[in-house]
Amino acid sequence: MSAAIKGPSLTLKAREAISGWLFVSPILTGFMIFFVGPLIAVFYYSTTEWNLLSQQSHFVGIENYVDALTRNDTFWDVLVNSLVFAAGLVPLNMLLALGLALALSRSVRGAVFFRTVFFAPVITSAVAWAIIWTFLLQHESGAVNRALSVIGINGPNWLHEPHWAMASVIFTRVLKTVGLNMILYIAALQSIPRDYTEAARLEGANGWEIFRRITWPLLAPTTLVIMVITVVGSLKVFDHIYLMTGGGPQNATLVLAFYIYEQGFKFFNTGYASALAVILFVLILALTILQTILKAARK
Amino acid sequence: MSTIMIKRLICAAVFSGTIATNVNAEELRFTVWTGSKAHLDMLNDIANGFKQTHPDVTVRYDTIPFGDYVQKLTLQMAGGNPPDLGWLLENSAPAFVEAGALADVSKTLHATENYNYADFSTSAMGLWTKDDSVYGIPFSTSPFLVYYNKSLYDAAGLETPDQRATDGTWTWEQLKKDAATLRNADAGVWGYETVDGQGYSARVWHNLIPIIRAYGGNAWTDGTCHLDSPEAVKAIKLFHNMIYVDGSAVPPGEQGDFFSGKSALTVTQISRVSKLADANFDWGIAPLPAGPAGNAATVGQAAVVAFAQGKNKEIAAEFLAYMTSAKNVAKMAEFFPPARKSVLEGDAFLSSNPAITPAQMKIVAQGIENGSVLPSHEHFPQIEAKARPEFDALWSKDADIQATMTKLCQGIQPLL
Repeated sequence: MSAAIKGPSLTLKAREAISGWLFVSPILTGFMIFFVGPLIAVFYYSTTEWNLLSQQSHFVGIENYVDALTRNDTFWDVLVNSLVFAAGLVPLNMLLALGLALALSRSVRGAVFFRTVFFAPVITSAVAWAIIWTFLLQHESGAVNRALSVIGINGPNWLHEPHWAMASVIFTRVLKTVGLNMILYIAALQSIPRDYTEAARLEGANGWEIFRRITWPLLAPTTLVIMVITVVGSLKVFDHIYLMTGGGPQNATLVLAFYIYEQGFKFFNTGYASALAVILFVLILALTILQTILKAARK
Repeated sequence: MSTIMIKRLICAAVFSGTIATNVNAEELRFTVWTGSKAHLDMLNDIANGFKQTHPDVTVRYDTIPFGDYVQKLTLQMAGGNPPDLGWLLENSAPAFVEAGALADVSKTLHATENYNYADFSTSAMGLWTKDDSVYGIPFSTSPFLVYYNKSLYDAAGLETPDQRATDGTWTWEQLKKDAATLRNADAGVWGYETVDGQGYSARVWHNLIPIIRAYGGNAWTDGTCHLDSPEAVKAIKLFHNMIYVDGSAVPPGEQGDFFSGKSALTVTQISRVSKLADANFDWGIAPLPAGPAGNAATVGQAAVVAFAQGKNKEIAAEFLAYMTSAKNVAKMAEFFPPARKSVLEGDAFLSSNPAITPAQMKIVAQGIENGSVLPSHEHFPQIEAKARPEFDALWSKDADIQATMTKLCQGIQPLL
C-alpha cells in the first residue's frame, strides 16, 4: 500500500530508455541472430578444416589464412581480379552517375522520363539483366556486334575472350547499378540552395567554376557515401559473374566472392571459404576506413 | 443430446482421426534435377504404386536445377535438412561415397523379395558399391547419341548417320564433313551443336570425352592424366577445326539450338527426345561416330541414392528398392535407359517410348552394352575447377592445343 503511494521508483529517463529498448528489441534480436551470430561463426569456422559434405571438422588455427596468403597462387589472381573489377567499376559508375544527375536534376522537359529509364535497371531482376546481356553480347548474332558491324567494326567475342570479358561484366554492371547512385546525386544536388549558385553567377563565375567551387564541395558527403557503397558492392559482386561468365574465360573474371562460393559449395571446403570471407571482410573494412580518413584529411 | 453437443463430438472425432493419421504418416523427400512434367508424372506414378504396400508414406519430389544440384543438395545436408532420397550423377558418386554421405542399402535390397540384385552388371554398379556395401542403384545408364536433322540431311541428299553407322562409315571425320556441308549461315543454321549447347562450359567433359575415346585416348587411368596424349590432342584438334576452320560447330558465345532447328547435328542423351515433341522437322538418332580406335560408346550414369542423414532411412531404402524393381525400371525406361539386364534385353524396352522407334531404341541398348561411363573421381569438383581455365584456353583460333593440354595435365595430376 505504501509502495503504491510512493509512486514509480524509476526516473523518467530510465523508463524512456526501457521503452526504447523494448521497441528496438524485435529487430535487435533478429540482427543478433541472423547477422552478428553468423559473422562471429565465420571467424570461428575460418580456424577449422570443415568439410561440408562429410560434416567433419577440426581446429587448424591460422593454417587456412597461411595457405591462402602464401601458398595459393589462385587466391592472388582472384584478389587482383576483384581489385581490377572495383577499379574499373567504381570511377565509371560514379562519373556516369554524376553526369546523369547533373543533366537530369534540372526541371527540364523529359527529365523524369530519363530518370525512370536509367533507374529501371536497378529494380530489374539481376538474373534477367545478366541473361539478356549474354544474348546481346554474343559474338556473331549478338545485337552489340551487329550494331558495331554497321559502322564497320568487327566486335570481339565479348564474354569469351579473357581481355574483353572483364570489361564486359564491368560495363553491364555499371549500367545495372548506376541508376541508384544517380538518384542519390540528384537528391544531393536538389538540396543545394540556389542562392549559392546565383550569387556566384552574379560574381561572374562560369559553369565550371560554380561546379568546382560550390557544387562539388557540397556534394562531398554524398560522394563519400556513394563511394563506400559502390566499392563495397563491387568487391562483393557474385550474381553478375556467376550468371554471365562463371568466372571464366581462363579465370579472367574469377573474383573473390565467386571463389569463396566455389571453395565452400563446390569443393565443400567450408573452413577455407570462411577464411577467404574474413579476408574479404577485412579488405572491405580497410578500404572503407581509408576512404573516410582521406575525406576527413581533405577537410 | 443437444445439436451443439453432437457437432462437438463430430469435430472431436474428425480431429482425433487427423491426429492419428499424422502420427503414422511419413513423408519421403526425394530430390531430382528434372522439371519435365512427363518425367514427374511418371515418378509420381511410381510413388503412388508404393502406397499399396505403404499407405501412410507419401513421396514428395523436389526439383533442383541441374547446374546447382550438388551444391544445393550439400547445403541442405549441412543445414540439417537432408532429403531422404535423391538422384546423383556419376561424377559425384566417389566424393559422396567417400564422405559417408550415402546410406548402405544392401541389406534392404537383398531382403526384398524378387529384387534380383544380380540383374545389375558389375560394371554398372562399379561406382555405387564399396566392398559389400551398396550406396545407390543406377536408374539411368544413358549413352551419348548423335541426333540429326533428317529434313536437312534429305534436302542436302546426304546419307544419314544411322545409314552410315549400319554400313560402317560413320566416323567423327564424316560427322565433321556433314556438319560443314549442312552449315547454312544465311539461314542461321549451324552444322553441329555441342551437348545441350554447354560444350564449352558445364558440359565440356561430355563434349570432348566421346571424341577423345574414339581416337584412343582417355581422361585418366590409374591416377595418370592422359589428356595430353597424342590421341587426345588429335581428337581435340578435330573439334577445334570444326569451330575455327570449317565454321560448322556453334562456337563459344553463340546459340544454335538443335531442338529448334538451328543446328543439323548434336550429341546428347535419350531423355532429350521429349524436347522434340513439337519439332517441325524430321529427325533421327545414330550411335556416336567411330574413330581410329573404333567405336567408343560413352555413357552418362545417374543413380537413386538414400542419404545417410535422412530421417526415414529404412523406408527410404524400401522405396529405393521399390523404385528400382524390374517393374519400375521398365516403366522408367521410357526416358531413362535401364541398367537392369533383363529390362534392357526385353522386347518391351524397345517399344517403351512411343516417340522412339524400336530400331532407334536398339541403338540406345547397344550404347549401354558397349559404353564406358564418363570419368569420375573423388576430387572431381577440384579437377573440374583446375581444368576449366585450360579448357577455356582451347577456344581461340590460334590455340596451341598440345601445350594447353600438357598444362592441363600438369595442373590436375596432383589431384589424381
